[in-house]
Amino acid sequence: MGVIKLAVPLLLVACLFRSLPANCQPSPLITLKEINVPLQKALEDIRLLTGYTYAGEATWVQYSHRVSFSVRKAPLRQVLDSCFKDQPFTYEIIGKAISIQARPPKELVVHGFIFNEKREPLEGVTILVRGELSAAAVTRENGEFSIRTRFADDQLLISSVNYESQELRPDDSKDMVIYLRERVGALADVVVVNTGYQEKSRKGTTGAFDVVSAELIDRRVSTNLLDRIDGVTNSVLFNKNIVSGTNQSAITIRGRSTIFANPNPLIVIDNFPYNGDITNINPEDVENITVLKDAAAAAIWGAFSGNGVIVITTKKGRLNQPAKWSFTTSQTIGEKPDLYYQPILSSSDYIDIQQFVYRKGGYNGQLSNFQRGAISPAVAIFDATTKGLISPADSASRINVLKGVDTRSYLNKYFYRQSLNSQYSLNVRGGGPRNQFFLSAGYDENKSNLVRNLYKRVTLLGNNTYMLVPDRLELSTGLSLSTSKAYLNNVGTSNVGYPYARLADANGNPLPVNLGLKNSYIDTAGGGQLLDWHYVPLNELKNSDNTVQLADYRVNIGLRYIIRKGLDVHIYYQYGWGDSIGSNYQNLQTYYTRNLINSYAQNSNGVFTFPVPMGGILDEQRNTYTANNARLQVNYQDTLFRQGLLNVIGGAEVRDLEGEGRRTRLYGYEKGVASSIAVDYATQWPQYANNNKTRIPYYDVNSANSERYLSYYINADYTYLGRYIFSASARRDESNLFGVKTNNRGVPLWSVGGGWVISKENFYHVNWLPFLKLRITDGYNGNVDRSTSSFTTAYINPSGNSYGAGSATIANPANPSLRWERINIFDAGLDFSLRKDRLGGSLDYYIKSGQDLIGQSPLDPTVGLTTFRSNTANMVDHGIDLTLHANNMIGPIRWSSVLLFSYVQDRVTVYKEKIGPVSTYFLTNVINPFVGRPLYALYALQWKGLDPQTGDPQGVLGGKVSKDYGSIVNSGNLNDMVYMGPSTPRAFGGWRNSLVWRQWGFSWNIVYKFGYVFRRNSIFYSQVYNGTSFGHSDYQRRWQNPGDEKMTNVPSMIYPIDRNRDAFYQASTVLVEKGDHIRLQDVQLSYELTRSAYPRLPVSMVRFYLYANNLGILWKANHAGIDPDYVSGMPNPRTLAIGMKTDF
Amino acid sequence: MIKQSWSSLISPLLLVMTSVLTAGCHKDDFLGKNPNSSLVVPSTLTDFQNLLDNDQVMNLFPALGEISADNYFIDQSLWQSAGTRVQNAYTWEKDIFDGEGNDEDWNYPYQQVYYANVVLDGLEKLKTDNSTIATYNSVKGQALFTRAFGLYNVAQLFAPVYDAMTAATDSSIPLRLSQDVKAPTVRSTVKQTYDQITGDLRIAVGLLPATVSMTYVNRASRPAAQALLARIYLSMRKYDSAGLYADSALSAHLTLLDYRQLNNSGLPIPFSRQNAEILYQSSFVNYQDYSQVLTGYSYFDCFVDSNLIRSYDPNDLRPSFYYFLLGVTDSFGLKGSYAGSLFPFGGLATDEVYLISAECKARAGDLNGAASKLNTLLVNRWKPGTFNGYAFTTQQEAFDTVLSERRKEMPFRGVRWSDLRRLNKEGANITLFRKINGAVDSLAPNSIRYVLPIPPDVLLLSGIQNNPR
Repeated sequence: MGVIKLAVPLLLVACLFRSLPANCQPSPLITLKEINVPLQKALEDIRLLTGYTYAGEATWVQYSHRVSFSVRKAPLRQVLDSCFKDQPFTYEIIGKAISIQARPPKELVVHGFIFNEKREPLEGVTILVRGELSAAAVTRENGEFSIRTRFADDQLLISSVNYESQELRPDDSKDMVIYLRERVGALADVVVVNTGYQEKSRKGTTGAFDVVSAELIDRRVSTNLLDRIDGVTNSVLFNKNIVSGTNQSAITIRGRSTIFANPNPLIVIDNFPYNGDITNINPEDVENITVLKDAAAAAIWGAFSGNGVIVITTKKGRLNQPAKWSFTTSQTIGEKPDLYYQPILSSSDYIDIQQFVYRKGGYNGQLSNFQRGAISPAVAIFDATTKGLISPADSASRINVLKGVDTRSYLNKYFYRQSLNSQYSLNVRGGGPRNQFFLSAGYDENKSNLVRNLYKRVTLLGNNTYMLVPDRLELSTGLSLSTSKAYLNNVGTSNVGYPYARLADANGNPLPVNLGLKNSYIDTAGGGQLLDWHYVPLNELKNSDNTVQLADYRVNIGLRYIIRKGLDVHIYYQYGWGDSIGSNYQNLQTYYTRNLINSYAQNSNGVFTFPVPMGGILDEQRNTYTANNARLQVNYQDTLFRQGLLNVIGGAEVRDLEGEGRRTRLYGYEKGVASSIAVDYATQWPQYANNNKTRIPYYDVNSANSERYLSYYINADYTYLGRYIFSASARRDESNLFGVKTNNRGVPLWSVGGGWVISKENFYHVNWLPFLKLRITDGYNGNVDRSTSSFTTAYINPSGNSYGAGSATIANPANPSLRWERINIFDAGLDFSLRKDRLGGSLDYYIKSGQDLIGQSPLDPTVGLTTFRSNTANMVDHGIDLTLHANNMIGPIRWSSVLLFSYVQDRVTVYKEKIGPVSTYFLTNVINPFVGRPLYALYALQWKGLDPQTGDPQGVLGGKVSKDYGSIVNSGNLNDMVYMGPSTPRAFGGWRNSLVWRQWGFSWNIVYKFGYVFRRNSIFYSQVYNGTSFGHSDYQRRWQNPGDEKMTNVPSMIYPIDRNRDAFYQASTVLVEKGDHIRLQDVQLSYELTRSAYPRLPVSMVRFYLYANNLGILWKANHAGIDPDYVSGMPNPRTLAIGMKTDF
Repeated sequence: MIKQSWSSLISPLLLVMTSVLTAGCHKDDFLGKNPNSSLVVPSTLTDFQNLLDNDQVMNLFPALGEISADNYFIDQSLWQSAGTRVQNAYTWEKDIFDGEGNDEDWNYPYQQVYYANVVLDGLEKLKTDNSTIATYNSVKGQALFTRAFGLYNVAQLFAPVYDAMTAATDSSIPLRLSQDVKAPTVRSTVKQTYDQITGDLRIAVGLLPATVSMTYVNRASRPAAQALLARIYLSMRKYDSAGLYADSALSAHLTLLDYRQLNNSGLPIPFSRQNAEILYQSSFVNYQDYSQVLTGYSYFDCFVDSNLIRSYDPNDLRPSFYYFLLGVTDSFGLKGSYAGSLFPFGGLATDEVYLISAECKARAGDLNGAASKLNTLLVNRWKPGTFNGYAFTTQQEAFDTVLSERRKEMPFRGVRWSDLRRLNKEGANITLFRKINGAVDSLAPNSIRYVLPIPPDVLLLSGIQNNPR
């Protein structure tokens, strides 16, 4: 750094001194403009203007360089200085003559190293001597270079694609050490975007792209690739509170624009959509990720692009680079999760409630003789006390013991542990003059924080490119293999229906708990002929044997034939295959197996037979996909209208994705022997405990599905004068959608765009803003809904009906006017960069409008169906994406930050189904679109406090305060409910900072989400009464005496309770909280050593880092102690990783 | 070297290009592939049979009639925690839906009608030959049977009882006879309703297999269609026709369960779904609010009407098969259904046919015939050697006995509500009472509240008129 800063003033001083003697003479003033003329021509012009002649040694004309300058009324000396700058001569003014003299050459051999700011050696950087193009050098792998120059005042010009150029004077007195700065405002210049069909410079595009570099991908430590782009890409939202049944996607790009069709972004890996599990990808193998956001960027993906596209490109080799090995490893330790995060009832409170319900007779049904369901221990004690079997004193002491038991302490001890994730990755990349290669191997082993859960993954990747015929034919091959095995033996709970279960005695011996059937029944049932019928959670954990194995491979073959310069043909083919095998072996010791065997046991006068055979049960589920993708593409590039550049790609693509699923169950299975026993599935067996007649569960199912697509596409970009950019694309997709006639299968989609680099205009003189570009695009993306059809279709029920015959359910009635969903995206964007990239970024405004969306329409139930799916809904999203890159501090300490801000607001504009009553809007597992509101929104019922006399919650019915809960929650008037806000964040993003000082690097990422609400939990008595919930500590704050209503909103406890009273409280406004929060996501500290700085280092570079993740919330709007990303469940525990990356 | 690899590459290159091109040429084949192995456009006899075999749709029976009838009562706490519809139907409120738009009792039968219409429409397009005609007839007969049973069940709840004098003008339920979702929903008259139902069934009798399948009791057979016609004519008070169809059903299928032989020890539900008396399986719609009240052996349970309990003779085996003594009270709860499940059975069985035959004989003055039918049935229902057999001297005695035995034999079978409507029409003068919250509600004979209001969603989306309440 210092070198550059010093070099510039030194040069200036040198120039001043050199021209000092001539200043004594009066000098004529010259006005002259020369553009790229030989030196001789310039001197001749000067002679004509001033009368000064010129002369020199005979060779000077031959060795001189062309000159360009423009001066107004400049002194002669200044003009001559510009003429002789960079010339291998000097001049002297003698009288009215200019004498041209060969410079006294001082041959230097300059030797040095070039690094980036992280002190990584840079290879392939070009060093030129200014004015002497023949002298050039390129840095070697370790950043080393040496170059000869002829003059001490020469200028070295150092340039590299990804780094800012530098000029400095040669210095042969020592090794020159040069640090290059990465082009941060790369946005403006050199960033390459990959659409999956072509790579192009961001500069020449009109679309909205976001690129995540390898460096940014490597910043985070995780096994899963997608975790690494969380919080570092604009407009990409990771949904943490996904509710099943509502068709939510884990990732959304620019909000939501479909209701029932596929909500997931398309994931493309190495040119083609990826059909496997994303966890199969090793993040270490990824070169970059491009997110395609608007129509111009994504429309090339046609009917798959409606939700945005994430293009993942794996690492490739480099031409002319010796093999370079690199090894990465990390160890990540995670805390135990906080089991006490959810404030459930204390055991003491829970038992008090049980006692209250018992006294009211609420357990009479359960306790009556014919009920054989398990009874919780406290209720059993109360009952035994009532029946006089135990004394009141004994009862009280037993209850007191139970009140002191908290199941979570056992879970914490026996079910949870610290996690440890280990990652190892080794790769080599390089290439010769005609080939490039990248080979990598990775191994991951994650010990989950759930005891007995483990994940192992092996990945292999090889990417090769060969120029078969120079400048003609190139072959590229890619092979990717990934296998993993997950052990899922621990589900993290004990499955017990009361919170005071003791799972082990003082010595750690497993204890049974009350689950399934009543203890008094299972203790004696079968008279010793049946298997033990107790449920022992710790033994379940020990005996569990549940695994999921994934295997995945991809083979890529690409051929590029260059017909002539600017015209080439590509053929790509990808074969992908993957399968997942879930295997759950429940041996004879597991409760499931014992219970099933016992339940089906037949007692014929004391002779027991077992229709479910004695032995383990093996469930296997296997899903396989096979993908064949082929593409033929022509790339054409040419100049058009002299200063214009035309870039056209066009092609056809065929995709065939075949999936197969199989589920099987083997009874009487013994692992090791691998033998199983046939069972009688046909007979309806009376159940041992209740004589219900049922068949033995039959799980063998096969399924197959097929997705086929034929697509044609064309995409053209035209750049005129380097500042006007036009783009257009069109695509047609056809698919084997069910029962659609061929001519209706396809959908044509298109986009157009324009870009204007204002800063390149002649009239542009804003010095502080040297780069400014405007982009506007518009077009249509599509989305496929594969669940509907234009004919009446029926779904064959895989296991038939309950009589052993086939069975079919009508999936949808005939809908001849079915169409594909279309999403129009308008985007206006601005890219800018301040001088020296001190601040740069982009701002986009977009409107996404989903048209012909699949929506539900209500049908008169007399038709035989209550709803009908068809293209009846519309949605609109508005949004802003802002990215700012700042270099806050340049110098020995470099501080840079990136601010990401996304704002998106979606609204359903047309929806035909009448939904109601209001209670429908409080169901969590269905989508309830409401015109004028976001698709995922929260509604609540007006709250009028607690009744001062009874502590009953009060709502509003027909404008009056009411306790008619049934009518309130079932009100058909939707105006009776209050819209509380969207349930997904409106504004979100991150603020990432990094500091670099010498070998040290420090960075942290702060992420935020604003503008949304969530519904929190509280005490809902009926759920506690019937044992489906452990309640909530709000119980402590419940209304108990008149006057309490002033301090609390928690209703009083009553029995019996109207279910609707709980339902009303649950839906009321008082339980809705703001989700806004700011989180310190992670912190990374790194230290790096390079051989150039430490010549005795045995490797060329080694970097150590510490990475801490999930650090916690900095600020949140709610005061209920809830992390809005974890409204249910537990927050992700904090983790600390220590890692090392070595380049050999 | 280069030449060699060049030529070796030509062939795969050509291969890929040809495959892309040929894919284009055989586009229809390529894109014609079925996207999901488990999806079909129903068009074959197998597809149609599969639709009819969907027992989760086709073999369901509306429950609101039994909920509103007098076989049981519930206590305050169960009533309070019961769903809105059950609460209101239990006390015969004017509006039983109270904001809820949909009703399973309406939706499921009409879904059955829709499935049947899909099958019947599809059969029109199917050609038959000698090898398929038997299956074709059976499928068509089953579809007609299901449509009739569905419409009849809706009519029991939402249309007035059949009265020959006013049937041509009384407003009844909509009849849907095609799968077209765009076809308008219009209310028919009671006469049209019953003409359609009985007409469909008479055609079905000629098409259906002559014997009952013991395996596939979810499928209709000729005896089942005859038994259903008997049930329908009985509800229409066309006792001659009812008797004729009952006897013809019995001529094909007379099997009765012998309770004396049936194991009832320690077995909560002594019946099986495929028991020998079942002619056609149908189970109450398993809607949570209903099952909470009517399920056997549930946490909360209804109490069997104490007058009904008292009417059984000590030697009668039936109470021990149907009910159990609730531990904490002196009342009886429901063990389970006649078809072995926990939830009541609404299908057809031979015992009902015997009782219809006996009733029609008694009404026709055939006292010996009536006694004979009853005795054949009841000897199987009493402890061995205790049943002496009925012999009637007056028609009234025969009539009263038959009705009393009908009540004792078939509680919780979905027929009581129809019986109350029919018998009150003839002057039986049965008033129903409910006690809730200390208040007593009653339902007078022939009250307009014997016809339930039409679900709000139907009114809203079809524009048809509601029933007066």
